[in-house]
Amino acid sequence: MKKGIEKIKAAKDGGYSYMERLYQGKKLGIWISLAVSLITTLLFLLTKVIKIENTAQLSEVLGLDLQEGGFSTSYSTFNMLSFVHKSGLGAQGLFAMILFAITIITIVLNISYLIKAQKFSSRKSNIKIYEAGQYAMVFNILLSLLVILFGIYSNKILGLVNIFSHSVLLYLIIVISIAGFVVIKRMEAPERKLYKELGFFKELRKNWVLFMLLLPTILFFAINNYLPMVGIYFAFEKFNFRDGLWSSPFVMFDNFEYIWKADLLKLMKNTVLYNLVFIILGHIFKIFIAILISQLTCKWFKRLNQTLIFMPHFVSYVILNVIVYNLLTYETGAVNTFLTTFGADRIDFYNTPGYWPFIIVFFDLWKGVGYGSVVYLAAILGIDKTFYEAAEVDGANVFQQIRYITLPLLKPTFIILVLFSLGNIMRGQFDLFYQIVGNNGLLFNATDIFDTYVYRLTMTNPLNNGLGTAAGLFQSLFGFVVILLTNYIVKRKNEDYALF
Amino acid sequence: MGMIMNKTKKVGKIKKSGYTISFDIMAYIFLTLLAAVCILPFVLIISGSFTENSTILREGYSILPKKISLDAYRLILGNPTDMINAYKVTIFVTAVGTGVGLLMTTLTAYVLSRKEFKYRNRISFIIYFTTIFGGGLIPWYITISKVLHLHGTLTALWLPGIISSYNIILMRTFIKGSVPDEMTEAAKIDGAGHIRIFAKIVLPILGPALATIGLFLALGYWNNWISSSLFINDTSKYMLQFYLYNMLNRAQAIRDLALTSGVILEVPTESTKLAMTVIATGPIILLYPFLQKYFVSGITVGAVKG
Repeated sequence: MKKGIEKIKAAKDGGYSYMERLYQGKKLGIWISLAVSLITTLLFLLTKVIKIENTAQLSEVLGLDLQEGGFSTSYSTFNMLSFVHKSGLGAQGLFAMILFAITIITIVLNISYLIKAQKFSSRKSNIKIYEAGQYAMVFNILLSLLVILFGIYSNKILGLVNIFSHSVLLYLIIVISIAGFVVIKRMEAPERKLYKELGFFKELRKNWVLFMLLLPTILFFAINNYLPMVGIYFAFEKFNFRDGLWSSPFVMFDNFEYIWKADLLKLMKNTVLYNLVFIILGHIFKIFIAILISQLTCKWFKRLNQTLIFMPHFVSYVILNVIVYNLLTYETGAVNTFLTTFGADRIDFYNTPGYWPFIIVFFDLWKGVGYGSVVYLAAILGIDKTFYEAAEVDGANVFQQIRYITLPLLKPTFIILVLFSLGNIMRGQFDLFYQIVGNNGLLFNATDIFDTYVYRLTMTNPLNNGLGTAAGLFQSLFGFVVILLTNYIVKRKNEDYALF
Repeated sequence: MGMIMNKTKKVGKIKKSGYTISFDIMAYIFLTLLAAVCILPFVLIISGSFTENSTILREGYSILPKKISLDAYRLILGNPTDMINAYKVTIFVTAVGTGVGLLMTTLTAYVLSRKEFKYRNRISFIIYFTTIFGGGLIPWYITISKVLHLHGTLTALWLPGIISSYNIILMRTFIKGSVPDEMTEAAKIDGAGHIRIFAKIVLPILGPALATIGLFLALGYWNNWISSSLFINDTSKYMLQFYLYNMLNRAQAIRDLALTSGVILEVPTESTKLAMTVIATGPIILLYPFLQKYFVSGITVGAVKG
């Protein structure tokens, strides 16, 4: 009892409440972990963590002269790739690439922790900040271990000892990161109890059924979508079958350079322009059709009409190939037959690139416009009838009603749909182009898009792996940037519709 | 009394303004033209498939067959083994793919719609991310055929297509929209576990949604030719559309077919191509009018929430 009173006295005399002292303690913890983050970031950025001990021996093994040719004896995880490039040691390439990627992730995590920690408060739950900090610390440790492993691995594949080694600073990084992790964890525990937010494993145990149900899907995406991303490495090497993915010579940006010089601009131009026309014309037609249908009153006509204009959507693109051929062949095509019966000359479509942008756009619209008008039809049907009734009382005719009521009210839907479509502007409609154009080399300049280019490259020559992957990577990266941009714009307009 | 009756009569008539009439006329004309453009190619194909081959070569395709001949169909149906194989494979792949895909999609959407699942936003993002960034065609091809050793198997035809991010998001929207929270809350209070809630409450309500997404999946599988081109070299395992594609590109394929069925001296390549086309797409064209409403509901729900 005496002790208790003394404690209360001490607390009162100290002038600080228990909560405040707790807060000060936490602040100290945060400062410590932030310092760790900062130090590790700077170390990874600036110091050269990979060292080459014995250049003479390495020169012998590689058959190169390491003294000249711009080699140095120590590298950071960033410029290790340049060493791999010059030395031609393909086997290290993938590992070096992974190191590079993880270094970037680590630095990003540390910096994001530094930024998030600014929001530290004594009033709200800081659990998200703690989680960010823990991720950063874990990656610090992971990266350091990987660099050490890299040295061991490199030595092993060369069959030598002690050629590659690592800087001692790595051990420092590991130690302070562990310390930082522990500090954060200790601050986290009471807050988790307080705000009733369970950690990952407890959450797992509580809702294990849900996790189980989700597992097959996660596995699917992991194998079908995320595992192939490792294959991005193909774009950086000169592939040959003997060496395969792991050891083909590392050529860094050579594949990209080749594609840039050869076809990239043409591919981008085609892909983007075609998509733009598809999107804009497509949506205009869809709105037009939807408005027409919505105004008609004859039920059987509407139903029959809809069934008929849906038809093109349901056939495969192979059928489309038949249709196009059927219509446009020089000798027997329906269009040419039609022309000759009127005494005009036949047109050789398949040998004239100039017609094809129009042909492709026409058939894209043919296939999609009937079915796609349904979206706008639903939107129109959702418009309050009283608007139209009021307009009729005011004496507005049909055209005016459409112009002043329907179109403005459709504008938000139109903008959102167009913005979404724009996000995918780098993704071509492979089916459409490949089936209509096929392997007709004459037409490629006017009709080749990323997707068909990559497909053709790979199918004709498997050694083109690197080029094909590089082109695909260009496409993915550009597309990604475009989506981020369009999402940002959509967010500014209407947060609900943004994707993330 | 007479005056009042007159007035009522006038109110009963709907008078259409001149504008509306002209609009209606324009609308009917345009929509009829549109429908004609949409189905004209099909008419040409069907008519061509019933036309004698030499007539096609001489006078081109036309809307009505100039000289009717069943040679093309006789050729195909005379030796239908390959075609029947293609049909079998396609039906199998479509059925299995749609079944498995529907199950997994619905389960995933269910989990992602549960409010008590703290990680649903993160998992949704992981799923959505696959649509905006990917490794590309080649790494995916290598994963499926070399890493998973699925090259040449039927599994490679249906497995990659069972789940799509779009379908998951669509189904999740359906669930959120049609299953009221009070129902699931009440069930939970009564002690029901997730699986029971899913089976007894969510699934029955979800009927139309299952039909819609099932049809999306089925249509995708039926029309898929790329998977066959990438993963299959054995002609007996080709799916229908790729079988057609193969035949279109290889006149030799048609001549081979003619040889085995021993039917005709002069091989009717053109009309056979068209007959094959009719056979390959017949089921879909005949079925879809009855299933229209499911496709329509799918596209509207999907677009509204995106």
